[in-house]
Amino acid sequence: MRLTRKARHSKHFIPPKLQITSMMDMFTIILIFLLFSFSNKPETMSLQKDLKLPESTADLDYKKNISLILSQTSLELGNKVIGSVKHGKIIGLDPQNLKTSKLYERLRSSRESADDLPGDESTKPHILFLCDKRLPFKTINSVVKAAAMAGYPNFQFGVLKK
Amino acid sequence: MSKLGRHRAATEQQTDIDMVPVMNMFLVLIPFLLMSVSFFHIKAINTSVPVLAQGKDAGQEQIHEKLTAIVEIEPAGFHVSAISDSVGPEELAKWDTRMARENESGYPLDQLVAELNKMKVRYPTSDTLIIIPEESIIYDTIIQAMDVARRYKNDSLFPNVVLSGKVG
Repeated sequence: MRLTRKARHSKHFIPPKLQITSMMDMFTIILIFLLFSFSNKPETMSLQKDLKLPESTADLDYKKNISLILSQTSLELGNKVIGSVKHGKIIGLDPQNLKTSKLYERLRSSRESADDLPGDESTKPHILFLCDKRLPFKTINSVVKAAAMAGYPNFQFGVLKK
Repeated sequence: MSKLGRHRAATEQQTDIDMVPVMNMFLVLIPFLLMSVSFFHIKAINTSVPVLAQGKDAGQEQIHEKLTAIVEIEPAGFHVSAISDSVGPEELAKWDTRMARENESGYPLDQLVAELNKMKVRYPTSDTLIIIPEESIIYDTIIQAMDVARRYKNDSLFPNVVLSGKVG
């Protein structure tokens, strides 16, 4: 409200105060909500924008160990691009000769170092496989086979909760 | 007002807590948390691929009749069958079923879950399902088949899912 000169110089003039109590309440609620949503997930990960994960009714939390991400354009292992995908075919991953691929070599060396660690099979790292839902099984099969040959036959398929 | 009351009013001043630093802190914290919050909840499905394994001891007795369900996903629909060490071939042949696709977009998931449920009721100790998709089948269809195969209403059907490529 525009204050007139008379009102400002008036003896009974009280300067207006910003009422921030309700805003504080709102901020406190938002802060608590965000902190809770932060605490109930195992880890955060960055995903490509073009990666469309399938939806599922699964309610199992993932254990992030080794993330293998297959999108329509690239193949990533632990956030490092190790191959590109063109027309559903992974460049550098020959389905007839998987042992010569970069994916196999990297997973094999990771498996060998994991084998040296103490502990049983359940404590050893597993693969979290995040794959685009539009890709055909032909593309997925090469990746899955290479990983299994390198010593990772058990997977967790990452999906979005329905 | 009494004399004491007037004296208090004259000496005590109303004090407000300075909330501005707290507000500043909130204004820094909230954008930071909003940037790192995830609005997608990623869940996981456990699966495995077939591997060469050592055979079981011949002396081990099979206490329960148990079978392994096989779902082949073809462009035309599902082909359900079963394999078992403890069930005869005539009985296994009864479970051989084909389910044609209803339309271009959808696979007969309701029929599949009904068939798997029948199998589970007949052989309750069965827990393994092998999914064999054809090369052209998209990943989304495989996940849908896995979803219906793991659970029917609140009962567990085939929680151990093995994904395998077609041989030959």
